[in-house]
Amino acid sequence: MFETYIKDYNEAVFDIDKETALEVVESALQQGITPEQVVFNIIIPSIEQMMALIEKDPDTNLAQHFMTAQIAAGITETMLTKFSTPPEVIGRVIIGTAYGDLHSLGKRIVIGCLKSMMVDVVDLGVNVKAEDFVDAAVEQDAQVIAISSMMVHTATGEDGSLRVRALLNERNLENQIKLVVGGAPYRFDHELYTKAGADNWAADGVTAAKIISQLILEVKAS
Amino acid sequence: MDLAELRVRAACGGIATCGACTIQTIKGEFSSPTLAEWQKIPAVDRDNGVRLACQLYLKSDAEVFLQDPAPTSNWKSLDLNDWSDYNTPQLDLNSAIYAIAVDLGTTHIRLSFWDRKQQKRIASRHGNNPQVALGEDVLTRLDVHRQRGEDLQSLSQIVRDAIIQGIRDILARDIGEIKSILEKVGLVSIVGNTAMLALLSGQDGSQLYDPDNWEGHIPCIPEDIEAWKNAWRMPNAEIAIQAPIAGFIGSDILAGILAINMTQQTEPVLFADFGTNTEIALWDGKQIWLTSVPGGPAFEGVGLQNGLSADAGAIRSVKKKDDHFILDVIGTDTPKGFCASGFVDAIALLRLDEEIKLSGRFANPNPEGFYLDKGNPCTIIKSKDIDAFQRAKAATAAAMQQLLALADISMLDLSELWVCGAFGQHLNLHNAQLTGLLPSMDCSRIKLFGNSALSGCEKMLLVPDSKEINQQLRNKIQVINLSHYPDYDDCFINHLRLIPFVGDK
Repeated sequence: MFETYIKDYNEAVFDIDKETALEVVESALQQGITPEQVVFNIIIPSIEQMMALIEKDPDTNLAQHFMTAQIAAGITETMLTKFSTPPEVIGRVIIGTAYGDLHSLGKRIVIGCLKSMMVDVVDLGVNVKAEDFVDAAVEQDAQVIAISSMMVHTATGEDGSLRVRALLNERNLENQIKLVVGGAPYRFDHELYTKAGADNWAADGVTAAKIISQLILEVKAS
Repeated sequence: MDLAELRVRAACGGIATCGACTIQTIKGEFSSPTLAEWQKIPAVDRDNGVRLACQLYLKSDAEVFLQDPAPTSNWKSLDLNDWSDYNTPQLDLNSAIYAIAVDLGTTHIRLSFWDRKQQKRIASRHGNNPQVALGEDVLTRLDVHRQRGEDLQSLSQIVRDAIIQGIRDILARDIGEIKSILEKVGLVSIVGNTAMLALLSGQDGSQLYDPDNWEGHIPCIPEDIEAWKNAWRMPNAEIAIQAPIAGFIGSDILAGILAINMTQQTEPVLFADFGTNTEIALWDGKQIWLTSVPGGPAFEGVGLQNGLSADAGAIRSVKKKDDHFILDVIGTDTPKGFCASGFVDAIALLRLDEEIKLSGRFANPNPEGFYLDKGNPCTIIKSKDIDAFQRAKAATAAAMQQLLALADISMLDLSELWVCGAFGQHLNLHNAQLTGLLPSMDCSRIKLFGNSALSGCEKMLLVPDSKEINQQLRNKIQVINLSHYPDYDDCFINHLRLIPFVGDK
């Protein structure tokens, strides 16, 4: 039964048709499907399928990436308010773009994927100072800091993730808080994340959400 | 003919004194030879139909032969024939009567040469910014420059050399004297985007990387102004780089605002200057809300598979008749690619035919791209071109919507929308609205103005209290950095589909 909804929903998202996607969800709810089922049985499987599909398709466009994440995040947030018991969140991540970087859309995709995969996200916005990342992670008990950079000089600059790494080290927080990075420069050079002082990186939103979830579990287990 | 690729030789500006612009008439009806032509052209040539191009008027379609064209040049005249007079007051000048307006863009340089005493434009030129060879956008150029570790002056020098070449092209062809005229130049006013002006003034552009400078004022005062004046042989000139407004908002937009008399309007006015960066200004009757969004190179043509700027060979408009496309190409029959206005037409027509879906994807998988003309690979539109266009138009539409929301103005209240910059005069408004590039408002309220920044810069030359007027204008500007508005991203994503932009949600 979920397959039909996933198919209709995916078709709408594929055509970046938000209204139809929302209608599919609405009709699923009317048919008695619970908000929990919408998130876990439609949205999460769908977002994974979509991202896989988009990655494979040479004709894919960025509009589809943005829309996939935006619709999924929007629906998940609405559904969370309708859950019968408060949703179980696996952990918390502090996210923002590197100091000196105003490119917010890559981060946007990752936030969409994280939210639909039940990770609590604190978005510090763009052009975030290293101190602010670390302070927020401590204050809000986050397990992961995620930093997006779209330019080489903000990815590898000393005011970006390198400074966050130095602060985590100075304050002896490296076991409690993990650092991940993403954005265009890391896609060109798959080893760049190590030069940026990060624990890991991801090439797309779904992978980022999975890697971040994994790190959250590792921190919680330790 | 100065608008075309082939230029006649010239050294007097078209007053029949140099006799250099000979051209042979082959077929068609022409005006009768003038007295000057009788004097300048030997009888044997005259019998073969040789004429002076500056004296010749066509009375029908005609064929002419240019045996000995002028050397090819980066510089061509601008078509400013439909520009009205500025009606500025007479300036009290006795020496240094000449002045030059320069609009320094990322891809193009536009300039015009004025006799301020007679309030007359002697000539205008546009040419490419030679820095394009180092990268399409500003940050790439700065990066290339940094990586090469070159002398900080070199990027600046490339542009200064280009500007003076354009000026000399005017003097050589339209006046016929160079040195003595350069000595009588009293003012060079330069507007442009922030990065270009910073580089021109001899800075390394590093301030542009610093977030603290994005909304702040970046002074562009060259330290070597005397050496610069010497290099240009203009001892009496004030070279005035009009300071940019903020990190990503240049003084070209200030000139554009001046050109359309924005602040003299009582009703709300929206202004968009399309380009690599698209600046958007909204006048609410009291202040100007001003922002800048990435257009990407899509609007300048250069970022597309077959993108061109609006020069010879560019498809500037596309129509459909029966089942084939009719391409209107600038200056020739063989298209070499699209300029921005032709590309918008193509997208709109392919949308109407359902060849492209609302999502921007081809209805049928099309890895090769879509050929508008089956035999010509220069007419291919690729899916990544459509994607680039979608992002550029969504950024613009979202910015317009955000400014309107901030100023609490409805799209219905706008008395005018000015479309300036890359699209020139050939944008089909209906097609632009169909793709969501321009808001769906009554087309009679939409004005196209291709060279608005140059026009505003010319006003700065001619108005006696120009500095005060500029300052008053600057005081009315409220710079908005859209990256501080979380709604902007959502708004951007909502505008990605190829659907009309109706606004007012």
